[in-house]
Amino acid sequence: MAHTTYYPPSGIYADSFKKDIRIVKTRTQLILAVSAMLLLVAVPLIPGLNSPYLLRLLIGIGITIIICLGLNILTGYCGQLNIGQSAFVMVGAFTSGLLNHSFGWSFWACVIPAGMVAAAVGVVFGIPSVRLKGLYLALTTLGAQIILTWVALFHIPLTSAGFTVEPVKIGSFYFDTPERFYYIALVFTAVMAFAAKNLMRTRWGRAFIAVRDNDRAAEAMGIDIFRYKLIAFAICTFYAGVAGSLLVHYMMWAQLESFTLNDSIWYVVMIIVGGLGSIEGTIFGVIFITALKELIFVIGPMLEGTLAFLPIGAGSGLLLVIIGGVAIFFLIFEPRGLAHRWNLIKAYYRLWPFGY
Amino acid sequence: MEFLGKIVIAGLMNGSIYGLVAIGFVLVYKSSSVLNFSQGYMLLLGAYIFWFFKASLKLDLLPSLLLALPSGFLMGIAIERITLRPLIGQPLISMITVTIFLSLVLEGLVSLIWGTYPLEQITVFGRGSGTVGSIVLTTENVCAFGVAFGAMVVLILFFRYTNLGLAMRGVAEGHQIVQSMGIGVRRIFSISWGIAGVAATIGGILMGTTLGFQLGLSHIGLLAIPAAFIGGLESPEGAILGGLLIGLIESVVSGYLGNAAGVPATFVVLILVMLIRPYGFFGLERIERV
Repeated sequence: MAHTTYYPPSGIYADSFKKDIRIVKTRTQLILAVSAMLLLVAVPLIPGLNSPYLLRLLIGIGITIIICLGLNILTGYCGQLNIGQSAFVMVGAFTSGLLNHSFGWSFWACVIPAGMVAAAVGVVFGIPSVRLKGLYLALTTLGAQIILTWVALFHIPLTSAGFTVEPVKIGSFYFDTPERFYYIALVFTAVMAFAAKNLMRTRWGRAFIAVRDNDRAAEAMGIDIFRYKLIAFAICTFYAGVAGSLLVHYMMWAQLESFTLNDSIWYVVMIIVGGLGSIEGTIFGVIFITALKELIFVIGPMLEGTLAFLPIGAGSGLLLVIIGGVAIFFLIFEPRGLAHRWNLIKAYYRLWPFGY
Repeated sequence: MEFLGKIVIAGLMNGSIYGLVAIGFVLVYKSSSVLNFSQGYMLLLGAYIFWFFKASLKLDLLPSLLLALPSGFLMGIAIERITLRPLIGQPLISMITVTIFLSLVLEGLVSLIWGTYPLEQITVFGRGSGTVGSIVLTTENVCAFGVAFGAMVVLILFFRYTNLGLAMRGVAEGHQIVQSMGIGVRRIFSISWGIAGVAATIGGILMGTTLGFQLGLSHIGLLAIPAAFIGGLESPEGAILGGLLIGLIESVVSGYLGNAAGVPATFVVLILVMLIRPYGFFGLERIERV
């Protein structure tokens, strides 16, 4: 079952192009999608599920999904490595926060400019690297992480100390509790994921894939590599900026500590575990790694408590070893990530009982 | 003037160590075109292994060096064997990302075994000092500089004149061709990672004796990346000059603009160099036309 994506649902014949490109192809898929959405909408209302802890976790997952979607468009679809994504989240977060704090703009007015500014900064850092092949973008993005953090820390007084930001509001209704903000995160995540899914099926998306798979062939086919790499980078950092804007308006507080090099590496781990070049995979990866992280946050201190011979800080060491190990494991043994597993399950379901 | 002299000397001293670590990058890059982001963490682990022999087992300098350097070699080989070997034939990007994740694992290992606090300070080269004009030089600094420079020269000669060094350069050009000429690609990979491990360990020991044995040592790997790039990723001489240049820039900028500005300044220089001379000053320019 190598080419799992080529098994369409049984009895569905794409006799017109319109039918062929539909995302939701069968009634079962429609029912599943609608019920999943309803379940997600209902989470804050169901007693037992609506603990603030779980809701905060879900909001975090939603925002991280937006960040990782952008990263997956750049890394998974266009084949350019970015290890400074959290710096661009920071640019979006501070842009949005400053517009709100200093000029009193509401969240709705801030969120698009935040994405735009992040994309503009991203393009500036992208220009030197897109002329070159391979690993050079990894370097400039690493540079971006270091330079941008330094600028925010030493050259803008407000951002170095941290400042308050207003919560999201519509009219006089404030989304200031986890139950309320959950819906904002849900809507944004759904819209951004849907946009990413569709964007990757357009001319741009196909051009990105061509650049990733063989840039020389792509150029010979008339694809302007320079332009498409920059577009991919701009989209990636735009997603980061929007997520950053959401993040500050959710936390109601903007500070530097949330945007470190380690965070950037975590995002890369998430998309690799989930599956490079897959929108569903991004979502799986973020959920998987976040759950793993929460688990280790519980186990780590327990271990440190019971095993007295471990030095101070062993818990954080354990976290790093496990996360790094999982990522390496996926790269070596499951390079197509959880998304591939998901496709295998789907293919098994579709071919059952003749799965050979 | 005295202040400038002091920071220039300090910059060159650190720069020689950056150069040594950058040679580790060059070594791995030349034999596999992989940029090893975990070099800084290999340095950290190597330094801690040395500290273990020297401080925990209370061995003398020479035996602990004789134990630490082969351990560094084995560390490099083990890393190659476990993480890089299974990825041969995969896209280059997955080999590069695996080194990023490797750095997480190595940092985690170090803090699992030794904790996150700095270790007890040990003296390695004695504590004398002398003056040149008005500038104070400690024995540690001079020894660090000498060792780093000597190691660099040995590595350069190795690449130019030994069969093994030439074989490594061949492997970087293309695996299939070299394999059909009777050179074992896997063996070359192992050896070059082993040597990179030794270079990292030497750098780690030198840095550890001057800065203290602490988790922050891994940042030297971060500074060695611009050094390797500015010099050109294919060239050991470039790595040394790049290292000295980066050390100088870092030290002068942090001397005049404040401590924190040093590292960002080196990355600004890196981005400028990439705009003007994308392949570094001594790198191999690959021309591609479609």
